Parts: sequence; structure tokens; C-alpha cells
Amino acid sequence: MNFEAVIGLEIHVEMKTRSKMFSSAPVEFGVEPNTLIVPNDMAFPGTMPTVNRQAVINAIRVADALHMQIDEVLVFDRKNYFYSDLPKGYQITQDKRPIGRNGHLDVKTDVVRTISIERLHIEEDTCKQLHFSDYTLLDYNRSGVPLIEIVSRPDIRSGDEAMKYVEAIRSVVIYADVSDGKMEEGSLRCDVNISLRPLGSAKLGTKVEVKNLNSLANIQRAIDFEVRRQERSLLLGQPIVQETRRFDEATRETITMRIKTDAVDYKYFTEPNLTPIRLRRDFIDEAIASCPELAETKARRYLGDQGLSERDASIILQSKDLAQYYDEAARCTTNYKALANWVTGEVVAYLNKKSIPVENFFISPSQLALLVDSIERKDISSKQGRDIFAEMLSTTSSVKEAREKLGIATQISDESIIITYISEALTAFPESVEDYRDGKDRALGFLIGQIMKKSGGKVNPGLTSKLLVEELKKR
Amino acid sequence: MEFLDLTIRELHNELVKKTVTPLELVREALLRAKSDANNAFELIMEKEALNLASKLKEPEANNLFWGIPFAIKDNFSTKDVATTASSNILNGYVPVFDAAVVKRLLDAKAIPIAKTTLDELAMGGSGTTGHLGTTYNPYDRKREHLIGGSSCGSAASVAASIVPFALGSDTGDSIRKPASYAGLVGFKPTWGRISRFGLFPFATSLDHVGYFTRSIFDAASLLNILAGRDDEDSTSSEVPVEDYTRLLTTDIRGARIAVIKEVVESIYDKDIGAAFQKTLASLRARGAHIEYVSIDRKLLESLFPTYIVISCAEATSNNANLDGIKFGPHYEAPTYEGTIMQARTKGFSELIKRRFVIGSFCLMKENQEVLFLRAQKIRRMVVEKITAILSDFDVIFVPASPTPAPRIGEMSDRLSDEYLIADNHMIIGNFAGLPSITLPIGFKKNLPFGGNITGSPFAEARVLQIAKVVEDISGFYNLSTRTAKV
Repeated sequence: MNFEAVIGLEIHVEMKTRSKMFSSAPVEFGVEPNTLIVPNDMAFPGTMPTVNRQAVINAIRVADALHMQIDEVLVFDRKNYFYSDLPKGYQITQDKRPIGRNGHLDVKTDVVRTISIERLHIEEDTCKQLHFSDYTLLDYNRSGVPLIEIVSRPDIRSGDEAMKYVEAIRSVVIYADVSDGKMEEGSLRCDVNISLRPLGSAKLGTKVEVKNLNSLANIQRAIDFEVRRQERSLLLGQPIVQETRRFDEATRETITMRIKTDAVDYKYFTEPNLTPIRLRRDFIDEAIASCPELAETKARRYLGDQGLSERDASIILQSKDLAQYYDEAARCTTNYKALANWVTGEVVAYLNKKSIPVENFFISPSQLALLVDSIERKDISSKQGRDIFAEMLSTTSSVKEAREKLGIATQISDESIIITYISEALTAFPESVEDYRDGKDRALGFLIGQIMKKSGGKVNPGLTSKLLVEELKKR
Repeated sequence: MEFLDLTIRELHNELVKKTVTPLELVREALLRAKSDANNAFELIMEKEALNLASKLKEPEANNLFWGIPFAIKDNFSTKDVATTASSNILNGYVPVFDAAVVKRLLDAKAIPIAKTTLDELAMGGSGTTGHLGTTYNPYDRKREHLIGGSSCGSAASVAASIVPFALGSDTGDSIRKPASYAGLVGFKPTWGRISRFGLFPFATSLDHVGYFTRSIFDAASLLNILAGRDDEDSTSSEVPVEDYTRLLTTDIRGARIAVIKEVVESIYDKDIGAAFQKTLASLRARGAHIEYVSIDRKLLESLFPTYIVISCAEATSNNANLDGIKFGPHYEAPTYEGTIMQARTKGFSELIKRRFVIGSFCLMKENQEVLFLRAQKIRRMVVEKITAILSDFDVIFVPASPTPAPRIGEMSDRLSDEYLIADNHMIIGNFAGLPSITLPIGFKKNLPFGGNITGSPFAEARVLQIAKVVEDISGFYNLSTRTAKV
């Protein structure tokens, strides 16, 4: 029997806002535990939530990028349960009215498929637990960090597709400046719901949830494993148990965490400390309009007007910082393709070799544009360009300084000047003209050498050689 | 000297004249507090109060609160001062921040001298359920009568002239009922008029910050400094604050006053009925237009059950932070469930647990529709009805309670009109978040009782104007156990 996998994803994205979702404590990662806390983050009695405006703007931007309907009234609910990482005994989230509804995203594997997205809502993170053998430590720095949760419909059919879907969402939140999207650090977390059904059947099978997926590759691996596991069970006539499993990185298998009995009743009700906030249409429009350019839009620009190759575009877009570097340089030149070649070639090679991030790259985008333009204008040769580039990096100098240091003067590309040099040479060495006529190609090299010498190496060699041949023919 | 028998304004005049200093006033207040026989205090802030008072040298003529001692209900967060909300689960909890209202009063250089008792976590109306036991009504030296709650200690300390004013909170009628039993002015302004930041929440959508004073002028002047937007409480209002003392007037000609017929009819106490009618007649004589209005009895009878559902539901969530993990008594256990269960089992009284069970039950998925959401619908119906009445009248005036302070342990019949309607009608003010004030209108034997005036949202000035006239009519200005001639 052939089975079809039915997969839905829940993605949590930690937002890198300046302050927390409902408190004024700063948001920062990797700092000393319990140093970024105000009384609200530990649920001291009498503390009250206030909504982080930037977090709402961020959620609107992501919702819009995912083609969602945006609710014009912001309503928060309480999700009530007791847990050691939940200081208030409830989490403020959006249950009945998520800020975004009914979106979709195109995902390209062998084919392009549209994945429907059910909802996007805003909520707050819990505190971080560090478990030891006989005690647990709590770090409240994470308590209250703004989150968005994006819930897909069960439209995904394979591990590959799931991975591409998460990759696309990750790109949106990174480019929209909402999150750093680092899965390995938990900034983007993904839970997978997966069930199998006979191909062609409309009825859903028993659902298994897989947690703890901390990389794109692991999402695919976990799903592929889970599909095989469920398939095997079904073929053996064993029923699928409704449970939560986690992916074990070492064995690359999913293992049972807990069997799900009845769903927990979270006793949701509207958060009474935050009266519904009407989001003005112009506020929503402005949030969207001011959203930093997304990768998809950049790609259209690169492949369209700027005429880059798909390869170059995709290399540039792999990193938001590299794309930003390219964009800044592209504002200083119109030689986009040449610029892209330099960025994806020399620049990336250098960054990789030295393993430094592009934001620490010494050569500024405008300097790189200047260098590219000089080559394209044939002021200098490509070889000279690379020499200058190397000189700039080794002596942290500007294009101009490097060029002076290397003694690379401006090339002469003016034809009338070059012809003057050629005429002088032909007059001075008539025997070489004779030799050329006799078919001795050596004479051509000699004459060019003389012209170079005379001009102090400034004439454009390619152009000179072309003009010389023409002049010789005239004689 | 007996300076503390005076009102805030009177004390202020003495302070400005330098007939008394803040330090002398605070010493007198501390002395009275220490000899309190009514179990009004959780904690007397002797060191802190003396320290603050000793710093105040030059009187501020334009600041009514300079050097004035006051008391704080122990469900307001006070920096570095233990705050328990009269519950064992918060024993030893020392907050790191001041509630917004405490901060405003400190900024005005008023001097807190004590934290006062309350019904545990402000859930209760008797003043008998706090972890220190019953708080007594100072009007009864035999200590047989309630003062009412939940703001029992604050009411007792103002009624006994230990302080001229005290902060309270009001979720059902927790300021206005004890004000009636203790012969005080008890005021809760509109929901959102005063920041709730730092008030330990009981039922957020019903909780109000308010206070007890012994005069309407003092009530108005307190509103002047406590009202206003606070960014830490996003439900606090941007509506401009008025000068409430300047707007006080004795001229109420043309004022339209509604009396709820069913409430008055549910009061069987002849003395209360007579005092109320007498007050109405005097108001009429001063040019007010008085009219009886009717509210469906069924709606009035559902006030209490609706209140129980909503308040318990919100309370169970609001108090879920009390888990023994972050503050309060901590119990080691092999699992987090064990720690939480021990803290909550040992920390809450049975009454509190019962409320949490009710609240949880009402929020359960299968019950939300028939209990919690239905209660919300009834609340909306009440609000619509009262809004309709107030669109035609300046205020609603009714007796604040069906009886003077009841005897301790005396339970009224919870299904009677007297209980369901006359004892619970002030909940309307919480459902609709309306400005509502109780003030004394009479005595029965040695026990005072009050009337209650409720107005439209943010119409505090109008409510205070009419209350001022009622105060003039009754003559119960600056009423306390030390000044009452009974």
C-alpha cells in the first residue's frame, strides 16, 4: 500500500526587539543568567503587562509577508497552566483572535506547492530551565521575550518540503529584521505534527508530534525517519500511538517523550489587563511599508533589472548581511553583474578564508563599487583590479592609495592619443613595419613593447594592439 | 495633643501654621496604631515612618499631603516593606517596588505608617478571613460586630482616627461596604482613573483602587493627586484629570438623582429606610430632582452569582503566580508539582481554595459557555441597564447596606432579597467600572450606616458634588469613634 504523509508545522520565532513583549526588560541573548529582569518577568504581585509596539509591528510584517489577513483589533488571551518555567501561572498569548490568519507560502522542491498557513499569533516566552541531576535552575532572562508562532495547515507532504517551508519562513523573519532565526540557539523552534494515510484517502491518520528540532537538516531527517517508522507500523498492522516524540541527534531517530492522553484544558480567557487595541489602518500600512526588503523581493530585483545570474543571486541572498553589502555597493554603480561577480567571487572567498563576517569586512561597499567601475571602464585591467584588491586588504588602504602604492596609473584608452604613440613608433622603426608585412608576427610584439615604454605603460594594451594592426594595414 | 482627630485639610493647616510637625504627627499616629485593639494592622512601619517624617522640615502650603500620615491596605506593593495580602502564601515576601499610588503619595511627602489587614487576598466581605484573624469594628468596643471587608484594616484605622486616610481596593464593594459599617467616606473612582499598578490583583476587570477618608473634601483632594494616566497600567485612562476640590459646590439645583426602587424595597431596616428618606427629602428641598427607577429583579438577583463566576475565574488565574517558586514560603520536593502543591496547600485558607476551584470550574472548556461566558453576558446586560439610567440622571443614590455592621458569625440568608439585592447592589459599580462613593447617613444605636452615590464614567466631579451636599445634610463630617456623639 502507498501512504501519503500529512505534515503540519508550528514554528516559534523569538523576536529580537529591544525590550520584552510585555515588560521593559531588555532582550539579549547569551548574557549572564537572571540579569535582564524587571519585576514583571518574575510575576511579582501587582505587576502589569504593557504591549511592545515594535513586536506588534514585527508580527504585522511577517503576517503580511505570509500573505495573511491582519486583524485590526489586537486582543490577548491567557493560557492557564502550572509549570516551573511559567512565572505567572499563565502565558499571555492570542487564542481567539490571532493577529494573522489564512496565509500561504509557495515552497519549491521538485515542484512548487502552496502551503496554507492557518494563523500567526504573538505571545511571550517562558523562562529557561537548566536541569541537573537533583535540581533545576531557572533563568528569567528569557521570561517574556516576544515570540510569534506560525501554524501551518497540514499541507506539507515530505521532509524535504517541510525543510524548504521552514527555510522560507526563516528567510522572511531574518530579512524582515524580526529575528536572527538561529535554530541552533533556539531563536527559531519547530514542532512537527505528522500522520500517514493511504494515498487517496481523505481521512486523517493518528497524529504524532515531534519536538526538539534544532536545524533544518534535522527537520528533514526527523520527518523522513518518522514516515518510515509509521509506514512500517501500519504495514505490520500496528496502530500508531498518539504521542509526543523527540528527535535524537546521535541516533537520528525519534523517540517517545510522552504519550498524549486527553488534551490539556488551558482555560483560555481574554487578558483583562490589556483592553483590546484598535490598530489603525495607517499603522498597519506603515508597519508593512517600512518593512526591510525581503529576500524574495531582492531576488526579483537581482534577476530582473540588475540582470544577475540565478547562481549569483542565490549566493548573495544566502546571507542577509552579504545581500546588504551587495545592495549598498549596487547603489554606487550600475555594473551589477560585474559587482555580483566580485561579491560572490573575491569577496566571499576572502571572507571564507579568513572566516570573518561580512559586517567586519574592511573594504566598504562603495570602495568595491569604485574598483569594479574602474575595471569596467577599462581604466585598469582585471589583473590590476585583483592586485589592487589584495593590496587594499593587506595594507587596509583605499582604492586610490593602493593604486598609487602599486604604481598603477590610469590607463590611456583615448584612441587619438594611442594612435599618436603608434604613429611615432611606426616612424621610428620602419624595419619592423617591413617585418610585419613579411609576415613576421614578432614585429607586432616589439612595436607594442616600444609603445608601452614610450607611454610609461599607461596605454590600454588590448586597445593598442587592435589599433596597431589597423594602422599597419593602412601603411 | 489630639491632632489626628482632624481631617487631612485641617491637619494641613496646622502643619503649615507649624503648630505641629510631621514628626509629632507620625509619633501620635504610631502611638495610636500600637494601641489599636481592632486588629487593623499587618505591619506598623515605625522606623520607615519616623525616618520620612524627620526629613520634613519646611511645610509646603500648596501640598495638602505634606507630612500627612496614612495607612496602606496590605495588598499594595511597598518597596522594602513586607506585603502579604493577609495570606500565609506571601509570608516573608518583601516587594522590590512601590505601587503607583503609594509612589504618588510618597512623592507628595505623605507618610505611610502601617500596612492594614484585609480578607485574605482581598477575597471576602467580612474582614474575618485574613491570616491574622478577624478585624473588629471600632464602633463596638465589645468586639462583637464586623467592620466588613475586604479593606477592613484600612477602614478600622481611619474610623478610629489613627490616620486621616487609608488606601483600599474594591472588587465587589470592598471599600464601600466597610465604609458604610464604619461611618466613613469610601470612594472608588472609575476603572482606569487611578493606576492599579502594584495592587495585588484579585479580579482584574473588577478591581479598583480607592480609599477611605472622613470628609468629601479629603476624598476630592486625594483624587487630585491619585488620578491620571500611568504607563505601567495600560488600562489607565488618558481622560484629563480635573481639580475635584475646586469643583465641589453646595448648589445642586437641577441635579437629577435616580433611586433604584428594588434596592430600597429590599431594605427592611426601618432606621436605614427613614434616614435614607430624610436625606432624599433634604436633597429635594435643595433643588435636586429625585426619581425612582426600576431594574428587573431577576437582573439584580443575578448580580451576586455573576460576580462570583467572574471574580473567581479571574482570581484563580491572577493568583497562579503564587507557587512558592519565586517568593513566599518555599517547600523542597522531588518535582515542581510537589513544590507548588505544598506551597498552595499550606499557603491558602479553605475559603480561598474554594474560590479557586469555583473559578477553575467556570473556565473549563465544557463549562465556559454556560458559566463564564454567560456571566459575561449578564454583566453586559447590567452595564447596559445602568448606562441607560445614567444617560438620564447625574447619579444613582441608594442605601449602601441593608443593615449596620452585622454581628460576627451572623450569616444573612443568601437567597433573600435583602442579601441578593440590598447587600450586593454595589457590585454594579464594579461591573460597569463607575465612580461610586459611600458616606455616612445615619446611626442605629452606636453603629453607623451609609448611603451610596454612583455616577457615569469619569463623572467623579459630579459624584463628589452631590456627596458633598449629602455630607452637609447629614452633618457627618469628620466622623470617627473619637468624634461621634453616640
